[in-house]
Amino acid sequence: MSATWLPCGTYHESYAQDHAWWQTTFIKGKMILLFITVFIVIPAVADDYWLSVCNQIGYTILGALGVQLLIGYCGQITLGHAAFIAVGAYTSTLLILEFPWPQFMLNMGLAYPISILIAAVVAGIWSVLFGLPSAKVKGFYLILTTMAAQFITVDFILTQYVSQIGGRGQAFSLPPGTIKIGPWSIENDIQVYFMMLVLVVLCVAAMANLMRTRVGRAWVAIRDNDISAEVMGINVVLYKLLAFFVAGFIGGIAGAFWISNLAAISTEHFTWFLSLWLVGVILIGGVGSLHGAIFGSIFMVMVMEILQLAIMPLADTFPKLLMDFLFIKEAAFGLAICAFMIFEPNGLAYRWWQIKNYFNLWPFSY
Amino acid sequence: MQPEDKTAATRIEITEDLTIPKLFYMQARRYGPQRVAMREKQYGIWRPITWQQYLDNVKHIALGLIKLGLKKGDKVSMIGDNRPEGLWAEMATLCAGGIGVWLFQDCLIEEVRYIIDHSDTRFLFGEGQEEVDKALSIIDECPKLDKIIWDDPKGMRNYHQDCLLSLKNLVEMGKQLDKDQPDLFEKLINRGTGKDVALLFYTSGTTSLPKGALLSHNNMLTMGRHLMDVDPCKDTDDYVSYLPFAWIGEQMMSISCGLQIGYTINFPEEPETARENIREIGPHVMFAPPRMYEQMTREVQVKYLDSSWTKRKFYEFSQKVGYHVADLKFDKKPIPWYWRFLEWIAYITVQRKLKDHLGLSRVRNAYTGGAAMGPDHFRFFHAMGVNLKQIYGQTEVAGISVVHRNGDIKFDTVGKPIPGTEIRITEEGEIITRSPSVFLGYYKNPEATAKALRDGWLHSDDKGFVDDDGHLVVFDRTKDVFTLRDGKPFSPQYLETRLKFSPYIKDSWVIGHNRDYITAVMCIDYSVVGKWADEKKINYTSYQELSQHEEVYDLVEEQIRQANKDLPEAAKVRKFTNLYKELDPDDDELTRTRKLRRAFVEKRYQDIVDALYSDVNTVHIDTTIKYEDGRESRINTDLQIRKITD
Repeated sequence: MSATWLPCGTYHESYAQDHAWWQTTFIKGKMILLFITVFIVIPAVADDYWLSVCNQIGYTILGALGVQLLIGYCGQITLGHAAFIAVGAYTSTLLILEFPWPQFMLNMGLAYPISILIAAVVAGIWSVLFGLPSAKVKGFYLILTTMAAQFITVDFILTQYVSQIGGRGQAFSLPPGTIKIGPWSIENDIQVYFMMLVLVVLCVAAMANLMRTRVGRAWVAIRDNDISAEVMGINVVLYKLLAFFVAGFIGGIAGAFWISNLAAISTEHFTWFLSLWLVGVILIGGVGSLHGAIFGSIFMVMVMEILQLAIMPLADTFPKLLMDFLFIKEAAFGLAICAFMIFEPNGLAYRWWQIKNYFNLWPFSY
Repeated sequence: MQPEDKTAATRIEITEDLTIPKLFYMQARRYGPQRVAMREKQYGIWRPITWQQYLDNVKHIALGLIKLGLKKGDKVSMIGDNRPEGLWAEMATLCAGGIGVWLFQDCLIEEVRYIIDHSDTRFLFGEGQEEVDKALSIIDECPKLDKIIWDDPKGMRNYHQDCLLSLKNLVEMGKQLDKDQPDLFEKLINRGTGKDVALLFYTSGTTSLPKGALLSHNNMLTMGRHLMDVDPCKDTDDYVSYLPFAWIGEQMMSISCGLQIGYTINFPEEPETARENIREIGPHVMFAPPRMYEQMTREVQVKYLDSSWTKRKFYEFSQKVGYHVADLKFDKKPIPWYWRFLEWIAYITVQRKLKDHLGLSRVRNAYTGGAAMGPDHFRFFHAMGVNLKQIYGQTEVAGISVVHRNGDIKFDTVGKPIPGTEIRITEEGEIITRSPSVFLGYYKNPEATAKALRDGWLHSDDKGFVDDDGHLVVFDRTKDVFTLRDGKPFSPQYLETRLKFSPYIKDSWVIGHNRDYITAVMCIDYSVVGKWADEKKINYTSYQELSQHEEVYDLVEEQIRQANKDLPEAAKVRKFTNLYKELDPDDDELTRTRKLRRAFVEKRYQDIVDALYSDVNTVHIDTTIKYEDGRESRINTDLQIRKITD
């Protein structure tokens, strides 16, 4: 997708200006409106149910960003991203529950923020570990190694060993008051919502920034042709591993954030289906675009919600529908992917780009 | 007296003593390192050059030239694309007391040799390898040529001739001299008066060898002053310099006006990216020959044809409104409120976007001159809300002498004389001019000077008249005016520009002087007609083949019928043929400013002309054409002759 369309009379005297965000007043206005909507309007009008839907969207965005980075920007197809989210979630949980925090830190509400950071780093390192095969293998073979990450991490290590820590058996539960950021205890949906917003904004901004640095360009070069990239002097292995690290890092943040919304942490939240789901999100949203990760997340979560709302009234007459909702959900997911692959192979982000172009090129078609 | 306004504060009094270097020094010191004098697009960004940097560069180049032995009055030639170095070289030449000569970038060797030799050039500034090669191939025939200075190192590694010098080294020499004699530059600047020769300008000449017009500092400065009196510019304005510096219009905007006002001059990345770069900058003033506007019109027409239904409808609506309002304005009639409202709708829905696409969003004044512009093109731009004005001028008045005023625009005239300029029509109908900007004479050509300058009046060789509103109407070059069979004089250029309004027609050449009827030789636009043919599934492999297709003839006939519609009976085109090639300045068919060299083509295509005026259906062509790289190819084909009946 091409560079931003700029109106006549917009020119740049330096590369910094050339790569600045929000170059025109129109875009600035649009972004300010967007921020007002998500920070003020939505919290003001949405009830708890819709806030939780928003939180679900935010969580999906955070998860999909890492997948987008690996698949969309670096060309490393991954089917094990849920593992790194899980690592983030478990690291954060264990740190909060088991680490002997000094009392003053607990009082100041530092335990959870610090645990998020550590969780992100641990997940990043864990991701690099499973990214190592990417130095040697590509394509289908790499997909299999990333799937191995899923099964080794979640189904083996987390289920068999980590879950046994403290002798709780299957799940960890976080008592109220343990999730605390500074003076605020994160207890209800609106608090989770704001935390989600801050994290999403930070992560999206970080990703967008990364993409205009040498690192981001190197990733794109590797995606487009790894041999050419190497010829141009890019250390392919290093940058691939860096991509795995950053993807794992953001995944870790996603996981550590999500525990604030969960009463009990168990491996059931991080099944292989979540990994697949995230790949579906970016396919539908648009591969190789940050907009894609966001649009895909919104679309997928909303489709499921609407499906649920549609089924509710029917459930009285067909009680079986309610019981089988999980299957319906998966069928809908499959159907959506098929439909998009056929009718909109470039995803929602491409459609968005086309709509913008329609008006940018007005009154012409090219 | 001019009314007191903001521009009055920066208004520069032009005295007998003022020269371009003096003005340059004054402005550079006033704006200093804070203000951007010029920008050049390089590797995707507009690299700014402040007035301070401008001054430093000019200073060092000028001193370098002095070190090389430049004497007052020596000629320095410049050839190359529009870029800051070109302007620096010119300014440095003037500062060092030399006389600047500009050559067209695409001049053939023969033309370069003629001008270099005729002007007694001592130093030549070339851009890079291409220009250096040109210069080296003629240096033996031009004994006065001393040094060739280049600045683009690409491909220059293996050139070690003594006559070559890089701009870098020249600047180094200048810096050295500056160290030794720190006040030399100021001394150089302060000598000389406005009456001294500043530029030696070769006119493109539709008929003969180029003539060198001598222009003084005063000529140039008064020219800029008087134009700015009509349409004031601001020092915050942007201007894009992309037309050859060897064209007087570009000199007028970049030097005469640019220096006085201090607006920023922007140079495109490459000549090929000029259009795109203009759009980025969004200039406030524009001066371009009609072909530029014709290109824009064609682009809009073609894109309109290709756009979707809804978009086309919006476009058609805005065109209708635009034309209606523009016509009311031309007639100086009041515009009713509901038409104003519709115009506003047209503006926000289409016109604003359209201007944005063309890079005309910020244009306050757009000028066209140098050749005739058809009324259709002219109305087209006004219908879009662009303040396009005709100007009339020539190299010999250092630019222009007549221009349209805001709100007083008639598309068949070129406007009223600018302040300080008197225009008269002689008994033979020739336009003569008197103003402080009238040139000093032709270089080494006293006969031509005596013919052009009589009692201080410049004889233009153009025919015209002044209409009831005091507007000048320019007919055409005296020898180009037709006499139709009904005995009326008629301008072929007018017909040609009408024909060219069709997007499918690139060039046309109308014949009919003292003949029974009018005929035309048409050059189709290869890309537009090619696309049209693709859609119609017409096969073709070359321009030549495409131009001779039956369907293409039908298409061209349709375009001619359109143009014929509101022409007097005697002026209607009755027969035409499609030429097998495009008219090209490299074949001497057009001048470098793309004016048709009528006498030349008439001779060259004698067969076609004869066929058009005899009762045949085809004309056989057997000729060789020469490509730019020197290859030759033989053309052996039949051209169809098509009659147009009512």
